[in-house]
Amino acid sequence: MPQVIIDGQAYEFEGQHKLLQFIQDLGKEVPFFCYHPSMSIPANCRQCMVKVGMYVKSRETGEYEIDDNGNKVIRWFPKLQTSCNVDVADDMVVHTQETDEEVRRAQKDNLEFILINHPLDCPICDQAGECPLQIQTYKYGPEGSRFEVKKVHKPKRVQLGPRVVLDAERCINCTRCTRFTEEISKTHQLTITSRGDKNYPITAPGREFDDPYSLNTVDICPVGALTSADFRFKARVWEMNQTPSIDITNGKGCNIDLWTRDNLVLRITPRFNEEVNDHWMPDEGREAYRIFNENRASKPKQKLDGEQILSSWNNAIATFNEQIEAHDKKDILFVGSPHASVEENYVLSKFANLVGLNPPVFTTHIEKGKGDGFLITDDLAPNTNGSRMLGFNELDEKALKNKVKNAKLVVLLSDHLVDRGVLNADDLDGKYLINFATNNSETTKLADLVIPITTAAEHAASYVNVDRRIQRTLPAKETRYTNRRLDLEMSEGRLDRYGTNFDNWVTEDNKVDCLPLWRFITEAANNSGLDLALTSGREIMEEISGNLASFEGVSYEIMDEQGGIQLSPDTKTAKTK
Amino acid sequence: MAYEFTKEDLKEIEKLKARYPEVKPVTLPALWIAQNRFGHVKPEVQKLVADTLGLPEAHVHGVATFYTQYYKEEKGKHVLDVCTCLSCQLCGGYDILEYLEEKLGIKTGQTTEDGMFTLNQVECLGACGYAPMLQVTNDNYVNNLTPEKVDKLIDSLKNGEKPEYEKIRMPQHKNT
Repeated sequence: MPQVIIDGQAYEFEGQHKLLQFIQDLGKEVPFFCYHPSMSIPANCRQCMVKVGMYVKSRETGEYEIDDNGNKVIRWFPKLQTSCNVDVADDMVVHTQETDEEVRRAQKDNLEFILINHPLDCPICDQAGECPLQIQTYKYGPEGSRFEVKKVHKPKRVQLGPRVVLDAERCINCTRCTRFTEEISKTHQLTITSRGDKNYPITAPGREFDDPYSLNTVDICPVGALTSADFRFKARVWEMNQTPSIDITNGKGCNIDLWTRDNLVLRITPRFNEEVNDHWMPDEGREAYRIFNENRASKPKQKLDGEQILSSWNNAIATFNEQIEAHDKKDILFVGSPHASVEENYVLSKFANLVGLNPPVFTTHIEKGKGDGFLITDDLAPNTNGSRMLGFNELDEKALKNKVKNAKLVVLLSDHLVDRGVLNADDLDGKYLINFATNNSETTKLADLVIPITTAAEHAASYVNVDRRIQRTLPAKETRYTNRRLDLEMSEGRLDRYGTNFDNWVTEDNKVDCLPLWRFITEAANNSGLDLALTSGREIMEEISGNLASFEGVSYEIMDEQGGIQLSPDTKTAKTK
Repeated sequence: MAYEFTKEDLKEIEKLKARYPEVKPVTLPALWIAQNRFGHVKPEVQKLVADTLGLPEAHVHGVATFYTQYYKEEKGKHVLDVCTCLSCQLCGGYDILEYLEEKLGIKTGQTTEDGMFTLNQVECLGACGYAPMLQVTNDNYVNNLTPEKVDKLIDSLKNGEKPEYEKIRMPQHKNT
């Protein structure tokens, strides 16, 4: 097998590799800025320089030439090479900055050049803390600047588009952003203008950077040149904690990270998953952080004399049970939701089954023509396939409307059917509407009983995307009834770890008074003498995979390990083994 | 004002397109055609070029702004690029520049009121052997400048005569 010698250690390899990626895959490091594994390689930052040579073989005999000391002779390439675009070859010898003073010096000097016109305004820069330039300057850069002349000034605070702000002085012209618009989003909206020390990325004159994927350029920007107009100056990175999750704004289920501080989700960034979204996500999905923070349904609400008033959980449970008992079984309609997780829908259907009702119905939330074939889908709900696979009765909007008209008690799971125009107030007139809701909406306003439930940011639950891949979320935000220090799945940021409830940066109000659906249903069932014990998403998924053929072999462990599980398309509606 | 290519220009561009395997390389000559037609490649003209070639506007903008020879704003009819790089500077490049400033009544970088001349200061144009020198509107060089030569040049330009290409032999060494 061909082998390459990196810093004196031999590594075998197969196939084609670029040296930088190969070194990274080994868990070693070479500093770089412009290289990105999903895009073309321009080698223009010059930071990833290494010394490369080849063992010399005699042409006649094919044997290695040996020097006087008995070592193989190395023919070094005439100059240092940018490792990002060097193909790994057999008998290649590589010295990185770890072993070679020349490489170390070259990287340091290159950084000095990159920093010449960089404003070094880290204390006020949003990128600080997650800035490759900052990190690598600390690790490989010069100790100070020898540049005593005035730095070049360029435009600052340029609103490139509705979501992205440019600070041209911080830019190091790695061209990652322009390559992103050329190669990934294909809108070709960005270019590098001018040249020399005056260049920076910009749109064509009079044009906006309104790419539906524009915020990805903020993620891949290796400095603070491109920042998010929305997230700017909201938080320092080291104050937040990062929780892996799933985008719930469309059917693709992009893998994301939720960044929280003081139990508010402050931003959403994409998380790498080769099978789903690579390194990217649409801008729309990032807006979803508002769903988790704002306008939340908190504490149960009950309609008395036509007016919703806050109620207690005990009261909500009692009312819920009373209503189920008070109505004839054929008059009760359970409506599941493609917006809710597999677990929630399953719990709803299990409860319906326990009290002897038909399985829940649901209607898809699809906007034809919205998808772009990349990461934006026609499907606006994250779990349409999951609801189907649970064997729910899929109705079109009209059929659902009729069903609701014929029912007397409607139990609605977190789908804002009124807001999205499937139902209107007249359809619900004279009916008792119980709404499990995450957020307040026109739909919850019409409900007789609003039961606040957790969002994807507050519980562990799974979603089946348009390609039938099941992926799960983790709790990122505490509710009134959860605690980061007790829930091992929750991450703890610095402020969480060292703060107390008496610190002024801890806001109790950010914790929403809501319960996971399964907990409410369990309590309600137990209260009316039914035997039901569902305590966590993990347990429910175990039960689902044990009961339903379509979910066979699904578990949180495997989902975590493999970044989701691809479910087979054949078992579409198969139920119970 | 709306900018449009003439039929001849379009024909020319079509010809150029046939010369390359893809459209991108035509950006440069197409920008030249545009600049010759309109005297500049302001954003509106860049857009025209982009639309004509079917290329992204941003790409054309990037190319146009990369090269100083493309004028991103309106210039005088004649653009005088006076070299003040090392050799020309030693041989009196700044004197020529100042002489021109005085003669035209403008500062470096400005355009005369009648729109005839724009005066620029540029770095080395690769004619160090004939310093000091200037270039007229991205075209011919005028070498070995003296105030008299400058006077003559300005007069002839005003009369609509462009300077001729000047062939100068390099200093010859006698081999002994």
